[in-house]
Amino acid sequence: MVLAILTVVFLGLAVAFLSDSWGYPAKHAPIPLVDRSFLDPATVRRSYADLVRAKEDLSDFDCYGCHEKGHPPPLHYDANQKLIIPPEHADVVMGHGTHGRNNNCFNCHNENNLTTLQPRDGRELKLEESTQLCGSCHGPTYRDWDSGAHGRINGYWNLKLGSAVKKDCVNCHNPHSPRFPGRQPAPAPHPLRPPPDADVPAQP
Amino acid sequence: MLTFPPNPDMSSPELHDPSAAPDAGMSRRSFLRTSAVLTAGLAAVATSLKPLFEMEDFTSAEQFMQKYYKEMTPEEMKKVLARITREVEKQYGVRPHVRDLRPMDGVEFVYALNLSRCIGCRKCVHACVAENNQSRNPEIQYIRVLKMPHGTFDLEKGDHNYSPEKVPEKGFFYMPVQCQQCHNPPCVKVCPVNATWQEKDGITVIDYDWCIGCRYCEAACPYWARRFNFTKPSIPADRLNPEMAYLGNRPRKQGVMEKCHFCVQRTRAGRYPACLEVCPTGSRKFGNILDPNSEVSQILRTKRVFMQLKEDVGTNPRFFYYFDV
Repeated sequence: MVLAILTVVFLGLAVAFLSDSWGYPAKHAPIPLVDRSFLDPATVRRSYADLVRAKEDLSDFDCYGCHEKGHPPPLHYDANQKLIIPPEHADVVMGHGTHGRNNNCFNCHNENNLTTLQPRDGRELKLEESTQLCGSCHGPTYRDWDSGAHGRINGYWNLKLGSAVKKDCVNCHNPHSPRFPGRQPAPAPHPLRPPPDADVPAQP
Repeated sequence: MLTFPPNPDMSSPELHDPSAAPDAGMSRRSFLRTSAVLTAGLAAVATSLKPLFEMEDFTSAEQFMQKYYKEMTPEEMKKVLARITREVEKQYGVRPHVRDLRPMDGVEFVYALNLSRCIGCRKCVHACVAENNQSRNPEIQYIRVLKMPHGTFDLEKGDHNYSPEKVPEKGFFYMPVQCQQCHNPPCVKVCPVNATWQEKDGITVIDYDWCIGCRYCEAACPYWARRFNFTKPSIPADRLNPEMAYLGNRPRKQGVMEKCHFCVQRTRAGRYPACLEVCPTGSRKFGNILDPNSEVSQILRTKRVFMQLKEDVGTNPRFFYYFDV
């Protein structure tokens, strides 16, 4: 009798194990792979120096293709002393500085030679040297950038083993509207077990 | 455990001896019954072991006999690296480049993070996952980005599940938290098998082949920086990073701990960690604190470095949060 009961119990166990009656927890809900754009280490903007290095089309920077040499372009203001942006430069958003005080192109651009920049100290800088121009007003930030506390450095921390690239101001900041733009965040973490009130995709 | 009732009949030699007298041992009926029970029992035991046979990455004898990391000779390490290369290639179809990178002399790593600049975009989180071959499902991530309301450092007010259209949101700042690489790491103290230890360049590492998965370190860490592989990690082969280090990002197995190791496969080769490379705002700074001209040295000297996280618990992290202004 005992043997018969044992036989039944064992057979039952074997069937239960084989059919996984209690075995495994529910499969994980699928998690989509993160978009590769979130893994891209590129800067948000490309500087003039980047374009030169990559030997790309620089026709946008050919100022004297339209402007006339020796004639500083005139600036026009509306009734509120707001600079009127000509349609040819519609991509320029004047957002540098608060209270519209920085509303003169020639605070930075050189009116006598549009292919160069002019900091307040009278120097004449090439477009690739824009970081020097920024530093002529933003001293503490320039100091931090110089020491590496502000801005991006990519490549090697150990310069004996490889080179590092120090990014310029304009790699992240639009000089005409320097506030760093907001961006879409990468997906939030998916919990190991979704909370009971979470939206679980319906089983077909 | 299954136990069988003692059965004197089983030991009877006449059982298998056809020449024995038929009435000397057991009857045909009891023999059949006993064998039925035995067969059923064996079948139950065999099927209960089924999950064992389904384990794909069953520890090989070679790995089982492997010596402790610090006791291995260079030749033994070479063999171990060859085994890992073989196993990864078999599993993912990608031939990895596995190295055992040791700390450099005169180098101690420090991380600094600019809280004024971080916008909470979580690119670091996913660059880390991609670099360090973390499991994608279930997700294992070394970095958590906390969204904190302005005016407090109460971590309980932090939220890591935010997902607005655009970050940063007004009225909040963002604080990424990962392994702080403490000078005085509680996780190392509690490890019963010395599978985790602090190296001389300051990185607390884990030997995934030595870890027994007791999760004491996870409980000891005040920063919630350690992650456990509850299941077999799943990594799509086309997302596997083939540049690997023994103490770094080689694929882990089920049942072991893992955590941020400052990307040893990159940083011990002189490069910046992956989270820093991808940060769009340049909030993340990394370098050698023993070099007075490194960025981190300059930051700790000149910037407003306000804290090490949970300073009061005495772990003395190598991860600093600083401000502009």
